[in-house]
Amino acid sequence: MYMYLPIALTSVNWLLVVGLGLGVGLLSGLFGVGGGFLMTPLLMMIGIPPTIAAATDANQIVAASASGTYAHWRLGNVDYKMGIYLLIGGFVGGAFGVQIIKVLRATGGADFLIKMTYVVMLGVVGTFMFFESLNALRKNKNAATVEETKSSAPVEKKKGFFGSLPLQTYFDKSGVTHSALVPVVLGAFVGILAAIMGVGGGFLMVPVMIYMLRMPMHVVVGTSLFQIMFTCIEVTFLQAYSNHTVDFLLALLLLVGSVFGAQVGTILGKKLHGDQLKILLAIIVLAVTAKIVLELVLEPSMMLAMKGGH
Amino acid sequence: MNTTLISRFAVLLVLIGLTFTPAPAHAVTSKVSPDNIKINLTYHGATLSVTGENVAGDDLIIRIGNEADDAHYKYMGKAGGLFWMKKGDVSFKNVPGVYLLYSSRELENLLDDAAQTANLIGYKALTEVAEMETPSAELKGDEARWKNEFIRFKEKQNLYAIHTGTVTRQHGQTNDTYQVEVAWPFQAPPGEYTVEAMAVRNGQVVERSRAQFTVERSGVVAKLSDLAFNNAALYGMMAVIIAIIAGFAVGMIFKKGGGAH
Repeated sequence: MYMYLPIALTSVNWLLVVGLGLGVGLLSGLFGVGGGFLMTPLLMMIGIPPTIAAATDANQIVAASASGTYAHWRLGNVDYKMGIYLLIGGFVGGAFGVQIIKVLRATGGADFLIKMTYVVMLGVVGTFMFFESLNALRKNKNAATVEETKSSAPVEKKKGFFGSLPLQTYFDKSGVTHSALVPVVLGAFVGILAAIMGVGGGFLMVPVMIYMLRMPMHVVVGTSLFQIMFTCIEVTFLQAYSNHTVDFLLALLLLVGSVFGAQVGTILGKKLHGDQLKILLAIIVLAVTAKIVLELVLEPSMMLAMKGGH
Repeated sequence: MNTTLISRFAVLLVLIGLTFTPAPAHAVTSKVSPDNIKINLTYHGATLSVTGENVAGDDLIIRIGNEADDAHYKYMGKAGGLFWMKKGDVSFKNVPGVYLLYSSRELENLLDDAAQTANLIGYKALTEVAEMETPSAELKGDEARWKNEFIRFKEKQNLYAIHTGTVTRQHGQTNDTYQVEVAWPFQAPPGEYTVEAMAVRNGQVVERSRAQFTVERSGVVAKLSDLAFNNAALYGMMAVIIAIIAGFAVGMIFKKGGGAH
């Protein structure tokens, strides 16, 4: 039942780790998030050092997102054009975010900024998604319609400032027209926040795609997974090469669970409505926010912590 | 002439006497088994058996650990008087990474404070020898509290422990024999460790002996560790490629299970 992890230097119950992978993979397939904001704290709870938990999680997300991307690609749910623009912005933003953290670490303000960014971003995103989805569900009930809902269908509306930007291009898969600058800049913004928070940024990218890029929910999930896969490939390689913090055996156990979980999540998502998916994700995001707030205000049981991680 | 003969005879008698007189009970001995612990894929710690002989009636203290080193941490504090978070760096110098202590009786019944400190026995002795370093002004002047936090942290990791009354002894004709079973924690990193058996008599450590054992990676654990640290680029590529293949392979297995939301 136990397996020794050569980089984490600890022994874990491998069934428990596979189970964690399965659970988080399920969320990944359902919502198009990598699940880093959930998995890293869970790994730390079972005794994995923070730096190794974060880096190894990126490795398993490569597998889960590849599995999910493949499933969504087969369903025609991946907007590659949009994904690549977001990816370009994400890489630039990520590099910029890493520099911000370096400067803040030197001045001693990094940890405070990281925690506050977590609480504010998760709280705002979770609350907004929750009430927006709740309203949409109520409206749907009142209208008693089985047609595609407003949120899961592309809506071409007057874009104001966005519409006046140059390089307007039509995104066939999503059925929306935007300036190419919009996804690049939004991708960069998410990239900066993701680098500060040390996560893949899926839970930020998904709302950005839904509410700012007005993409249909099902294309959002596939495109988000496509983008996360590339981000996590970069993170895994850099962490393994520069910091030696990727525990491959741990990643292998997690990915055995997560790749299956991602597939089950995709099948399960098929049975759920777009707004139901969003409200579920909102509840999970709000629960994680509540956990972080509690950790911030309650006195910790241990007053010392290993160096590294958040 | 007679005097010389008598002297020689006397020396001979002394030598014969020395040869046939039973040796005085001395030197506590120690042996650890196994003396080599292999960390393989299914490793979850080990059971060590420390055995030896000691002078009848002596008490025993067995200390297991490694070389003293420096330990670096982040300390938790309140930012803005409201939020708990990692605030700054703190280091503890001259502290062992692993410190397991076993004794035949309660430590305070064996040695006084001075003797415990002199022999590095007990947490109080450890905190007296340890030095704390931090750039933070708020920690200075409160060293005792933070050294105790360090001990608590190590105890939680199962790397520090004190088990009194756990050394079992059996009386022999000349010497006693002793034994202690040690649950070696899987959290202890690979390296060289020392077992030190101390015989205690009349409030003093009168004799000591040492045995050594090693903890080392083997098999797949050793190979992966070697690859990760000595060929990091290849290791990183392997981790990425296997993850991608696994993801797509499972995607293909589930090919018929997919469908639109």
